[in-house]
Amino acid sequence: MGGAERNERKRRQAQLGSRGKPAVAKHKPADRKPVIIGVVVVVVLLGAVLGGVIYTSNKKNATEGANIAAKDTTELDNAATGAAGDDANYPVQRDAAAVLVGQKSAKVTLDLYEDFLCPVCHEFENNYGDALTQHVKDGSLRLRYHMLPLLNNSSDPPGYSMDSANAGLCAADAGKFPAFHLSLYDAQPAEGSRGWDKQQLAKLGQDLGITDASFKSCVESGKYDSIIQSVFDKTRTTAYLQQDINGQTGFGTPTVAKGHEVIDTSDPKWLDAVLANPS
Amino acid sequence: MLDGIGAVARFGLAAVWLVSGFIKASDLNQTYIAVQAYDLLPAGAVSAVAGAVPFLELALGVLLLLGLGTRLTAVVSAVVLLAFIGAVAQAWARGLSIDCGCFGGGGQVSSGDTSYPQEIARDIGFLVLAGWLIVRPRTLFAMDGWLTTRNAPVEPVDTHGRT
Repeated sequence: MGGAERNERKRRQAQLGSRGKPAVAKHKPADRKPVIIGVVVVVVLLGAVLGGVIYTSNKKNATEGANIAAKDTTELDNAATGAAGDDANYPVQRDAAAVLVGQKSAKVTLDLYEDFLCPVCHEFENNYGDALTQHVKDGSLRLRYHMLPLLNNSSDPPGYSMDSANAGLCAADAGKFPAFHLSLYDAQPAEGSRGWDKQQLAKLGQDLGITDASFKSCVESGKYDSIIQSVFDKTRTTAYLQQDINGQTGFGTPTVAKGHEVIDTSDPKWLDAVLANPS
Repeated sequence: MLDGIGAVARFGLAAVWLVSGFIKASDLNQTYIAVQAYDLLPAGAVSAVAGAVPFLELALGVLLLLGLGTRLTAVVSAVVLLAFIGAVAQAWARGLSIDCGCFGGGGQVSSGDTSYPQEIARDIGFLVLAGWLIVRPRTLFAMDGWLTTRNAPVEPVDTHGRT
């Protein structure tokens, strides 16, 4: 017996029962309109549920296979120095689960804690990314990027934060972290959306000119996932990184620190102040 | 008179479902975040619930607006509302700091910005509307009424398939 048929019978029985006068109802066997209405209601509701799930999934998967636009910092070089340049004019190296960008001789080193899915980090990069890059290029600033999976459960399916953090380290191994970082923030997926998958992250690296064959396998195998996770677990409980976030104490992204001191970036001139006061 | 009160309850609940469903359906990413914040379901189920709930709400709203199968629709509405109340209550009990996402929004909020009692009270209010319609589904301006008043059987039909 089909489910619909069973439901129909159940509903009919329920209606007969609820009417309180089943004997009377039984004498009117033509009264099947309530049953038909009930079936229509069930079909409409089930259709809405199934249709909703399918529609939502299709809508979210629309970005599958799309390319992440490749952005590099060359334009910025041209604007800043009038000369064509590339990421290679300053050192980029992976340091465990972090990426060190800039000259060792820089007077100021800042730690940046970010998540590729975090909208406030995107805003931060929009506001200060160019200035940070310019100071890295002129040798006055060195940055240690910590890309963390704070919002790992906030993509659908979960995992974009970790996949992108890992891919960032893979790109750092290939010397292309700054462009990779810039491209991912420019193409940042919304929280709750699908995010970019590992194939798309690997393709971005290739589009940015990474030719090393190990890059793709690094991204797709999640080579640095476990070290990122252990560093993240340690970072989020580090005492000096705890901040007051809307009345709660905790670790959040973005966080900027100099040594063991968190920098308050709510003042738009914070970077100038930090650079003017190296110590 | 009572049919009039019923109609008010029906249209009221229909408006609630249509508005909340529309807001949720227009930002499906945010709806995922809202469901995820309850921290109740595995990721795959969060995805399914976040996909289904907005459209289930819209369907309930349309059925109530039409007054089609009012009692059954009200029963389903009540079940959905009870599930919402249960979800908010467990978030409150576990000390989560989330917005219920009842009418859009949702997700983590700071601990001072939660409003669990208000959210539950509001849902109980909606539950009262559904309760009225379950107990007394006859209302004015309902398809149910038009369909059943013209109920003039010409010949008996055996609905059990026995001839």
